[in-house]
Amino acid sequence: MAGPIEQQIHRDPALFYWILLPITVVMILTGILRHYLSTLLQTTPKKQALLKMREQRHLMRARNMIINHAQISKAAFNKRKEWFADKVKEGTLLESGPDGKAKGKPNPLSDPAMMDGMMGMMKGQMVMMVPQSLIMGWINAFFSGYVIMKLPFPLTPQFKQMLQAGVGTRDLDVRWVSSLSWYFLTLFGLQPVYNFILGSNNAASQVAQQMQMQQQGNPMAGAEDMEKIFAAEVENLEVVEHWYVLDGVEDRLLAKFASSI
Amino acid sequence: MISPTLLQPPAHLSPSACIQISQQAPAFLQSHTRTVLPYPLSVFSSGETQEIWQAYETLLLACLRTGDDKSASQCLERLVERFGEKNERVQALRGLYDEATAQDEAALQKVLEGYEETLKEQPTNMPIRKRRIALLQSMERPTDAMTALVGLLDTSPTDAEAWSELADLYLAQGSYSQAIYCLEEVLLVTPNAWNVHARLAEVLYLSSTASDSPGNALKGLSESMRRFCRSIELCNDYLRGYYGLKLTTTHLLDTLSKVPSKPATATSDPVFGELAPPSLASIQRLNELATAKLAEIVRRNTAGEKGWDGYEMAEVIAARELLDRDTLSIQR
Repeated sequence: MAGPIEQQIHRDPALFYWILLPITVVMILTGILRHYLSTLLQTTPKKQALLKMREQRHLMRARNMIINHAQISKAAFNKRKEWFADKVKEGTLLESGPDGKAKGKPNPLSDPAMMDGMMGMMKGQMVMMVPQSLIMGWINAFFSGYVIMKLPFPLTPQFKQMLQAGVGTRDLDVRWVSSLSWYFLTLFGLQPVYNFILGSNNAASQVAQQMQMQQQGNPMAGAEDMEKIFAAEVENLEVVEHWYVLDGVEDRLLAKFASSI
Repeated sequence: MISPTLLQPPAHLSPSACIQISQQAPAFLQSHTRTVLPYPLSVFSSGETQEIWQAYETLLLACLRTGDDKSASQCLERLVERFGEKNERVQALRGLYDEATAQDEAALQKVLEGYEETLKEQPTNMPIRKRRIALLQSMERPTDAMTALVGLLDTSPTDAEAWSELADLYLAQGSYSQAIYCLEEVLLVTPNAWNVHARLAEVLYLSSTASDSPGNALKGLSESMRRFCRSIELCNDYLRGYYGLKLTTTHLLDTLSKVPSKPATATSDPVFGELAPPSLASIQRLNELATAKLAEIVRRNTAGEKGWDGYEMAEVIAARELLDRDTLSIQR
């Protein structure tokens, strides 16, 4: 006989109705539940304090000045540069004012705003962790060791670990999928389904949430030393090599319209 | 379906366009009535989109302008119902409504006090701060408005809107150098805004005509001319830019022909930058370019050609007048 013999396993069709379908439905429902839970637990973002906002915007202005310095003349640029350097030296742009200069970095744990942020993250983590571990336990308790479906396409043996978790049979063809693996597949692969049901900015998927967490970064990193950042910005302004957008603009314009007149 | 004019109304709405929008209001309010279904069904009919609320806001503003206070109040009611009294934007819209429907000075004063009350509680409420400034301006208290604007810009120095407002106020007071400073700030935030470039050029032109020393005037004029050039470079068919370019180049040619020995060799002027004065030939050619373009715009706009009809009527008339002035002086 040419070619490998295809493995035949006769599955009870009840496996489909009583394992595959329930796992899928439960996973979708948990996703929806998670979405609504996290909307429920969301804390409204706290408003920035006036002085904090001032500090941020002055920093932004300095950065704008670096990027768009070509729009204004050198004299005007220098005037602004000196003003900014003076203010930074005095420390009046800092949130804590000139007196706060010496205090240095505050402890993030003592800052109530910081604690709020961390509480929010904890809540998010809980909403993700609790249902995940519950379902994992449920599947392990009831359905471990079942082979529940066969993929309609061949795969390389590397997928064995992924598709046959909980089934310790070495010779089983890779195309057979165990219940635990089906759980993992639905865990990671249901995002499009959630998009369809809940709209595109839902909070149902684990993966998306975890990515978001990583982007947010460490909450502790929020309390940088603003004074140093301002000082660095002054230096950046200092090294800007000024050019003026109006320099030679009449020639550029004439060249541009040379053909039309 | 919501028409695009409701979603993104043009920034400068002409009265006729405005009345057109506000006339849509009753029909729109009628067609978007809230049909409240009982609980389990209401889950499925969440047919609300951002567009609807944007449309409500546009309608509210248009209705207030055209005096359709009834529709305006309905729009506002729905916005309040959806976003709550505490929403900053809704608060500002409510303030706007109160201002528009205020009957006399005392009522306006009351609105102003209301704003101050709100700001005491939430000093970061930018929409209300801006409303307060606008109200101060319309109550003809420009000095108070300026103080408030300077305060706002101290906390939020990247607010282009506020900077340009302050520039206008300074200009009205005749403080040209302050106005120029403010407009430069606007440019630092929005570097490619051709209208701001042209505005700055206009202020420079005004300040140079007001300046007493001929050297300074010349510098101001050439800087202003260059700004106009930049604004045209960014927007090819900008009528205001060409108008200004023609005005400044004519003026420059006049001045330069009167003063044959060029006094503008000192290039380290602290106010007007460090560029060498433009050559006479290029000024001449820019003048020709501006004249040709202005004539083209006026001709095509008057003929009602497609794609050339977006200009302001008043600006086209002014441009024609400028061109006529030119031909008259040649005939003489």
